[in-house]
Amino acid sequence: MKLDELYVTAKLAKLDLNEGEAEKLAVEVSRMLEYFSVMEKVDVEGLEATVQTLSRENVCRPDVVTSRDVSAKMLDNAPKRDDRFIIIPNVL
Amino acid sequence: MQGKDMAGNGINSSDSSSVTNGGWSKVLSENKASYLEYVDGWEKKIGSFLEYDIERIRSASCREGALAGIPFGVKDNFAVEGFNITCGSKILEGVASPYTATSVAKLQKAGAVVVGKTNLDAFGMGSSTDNSAFKVTNNPWDLTRVAGGSSGGSAAAVAAGLVPFALGSDTGGSVRQPASFCGVYGLKPTYGVVSRYGLTAYASSLDVVGVLSRTVDTARTVFNTMKGRDILDNTSVSHPGSANNGDVKKIAVLKVSDGILSKEVELSYAKSKNRLLSLGFELIDIELTSLEYVVPVYYTIATAEASANLARFNGLRYGYQSPEGKDPGELMQASRDEGFCDEVKLRILLGTYVLRSGFQDQYYLKAQKIRTAIRNEFNTIFESADLVMMPVFPTPAFKHGSAELDTFQQKVADLYTCTANLTGLPALAVPSSVEENGLPVGVQFTAPAFEEDRLFNVAGVLEAGFPSPTVPGIKDWSKF
Repeated sequence: MKLDELYVTAKLAKLDLNEGEAEKLAVEVSRMLEYFSVMEKVDVEGLEATVQTLSRENVCRPDVVTSRDVSAKMLDNAPKRDDRFIIIPNVL
Repeated sequence: MQGKDMAGNGINSSDSSSVTNGGWSKVLSENKASYLEYVDGWEKKIGSFLEYDIERIRSASCREGALAGIPFGVKDNFAVEGFNITCGSKILEGVASPYTATSVAKLQKAGAVVVGKTNLDAFGMGSSTDNSAFKVTNNPWDLTRVAGGSSGGSAAAVAAGLVPFALGSDTGGSVRQPASFCGVYGLKPTYGVVSRYGLTAYASSLDVVGVLSRTVDTARTVFNTMKGRDILDNTSVSHPGSANNGDVKKIAVLKVSDGILSKEVELSYAKSKNRLLSLGFELIDIELTSLEYVVPVYYTIATAEASANLARFNGLRYGYQSPEGKDPGELMQASRDEGFCDEVKLRILLGTYVLRSGFQDQYYLKAQKIRTAIRNEFNTIFESADLVMMPVFPTPAFKHGSAELDTFQQKVADLYTCTANLTGLPALAVPSSVEENGLPVGVQFTAPAFEEDRLFNVAGVLEAGFPSPTVPGIKDWSKF
């Protein structure tokens, strides 16, 4: 994979790679992609894609409010907060 | 035949389980001081736990139940209220579990006590536990070697006799490979049979909750306690039970081409084969034509799903936050770059790439179709065999660092384990031998969906002749 391709991918993945890191990862990503290329020769004509192995239908539950509110405990993990608000840098 | 007679049908087996009758139920009470001293001594050598505290959440476990008072370890990618959940990554350092995973809660309800969180490769990504941001875990059999991964802490803790069992997660072999490296049993159940609620998602179509233990009975009891549909995990299903009482007669044995296995694993594999023959099982040789593709298919699907699942770690709501970043976008990018280790970044990048528009059909969709071909091949084999036997990993435990196996070679070596994840089938790593180099080697059985009983039965028969090997110097607390 070329470095500029890697930077595009990193941007999509929200990773701010530095130069040294990018060069090292480009080599490793390329090695894996080359390894993936063995899949090209496989004839998959007529095969459906497996997205899950249990072949389940959509699962629904009754539309009833339950009391599994863990938001207070979740908020305790916030790096910066003001009461029930998480503080982040200015958006604009 | 043998299996059925010797090991029962797996239902309500907890009454006769060695873990429930032995001394493990007393270590936290009557033998507490000597037990803690023992744990401390081994921990200094192996570093299997990220957090260890027998009292912290003891009160969260029922005082009565089949597993009352029995300590266990939980891989640190499970939420357990009272303990942190770091997933072995700096990006989640210090994050407190806001709730408890269903699998863990069910064990607590049966009386078992969480004594700590075990070390792992960050987010379950690795084969050595060396990708942990926090500490190095050594193999109790040889401290210069890895305990395997990604559930290496769980495997090392069980092998060293610190706990009778520990939970792990298995996305591509992360329970079975460390079990093989440490000489213990490692169960990967049928996909969906144990709730994943509270397990940090790596690759959602492959992840399962597994068990590592010193005995087959313990694995069976723990599995039977955890299994079942959970309203908090809509991919979970109830277990219908075995269709044939867990009976095993014919085992399909994978023929392994020359040069793939190390000398030790090759010898060990032959021993298991001979043991099964002498026990009267019928063995048939098979080949898996799809084996060549399983690792590329696995890494395409696993990294694609990981790139989506790990998008939630952005440094804004919980976990590590970079001091850099003038706006939310910059802060997110900097936090992720500083918080994730190289292996995690590699997998996120790969996953993002194979899902990019223009590449999706070539990689992700193609991999999903080949995944169907792999499932079909297993279904065909199970028309004429009750189980499939394969190696777990081509080598015994390797040395820390990349000298013996670099990270790419470690991935390629997942070929025997990741098939069970791609097919969703249950698989069990069973101790097979200790070779001349002093290292244990395991062997793997795969069963049709929901046929965990077949795995326990064959493992029980083998255990009678070759139980889980004992690390020199360990104390068997079940006997105290």
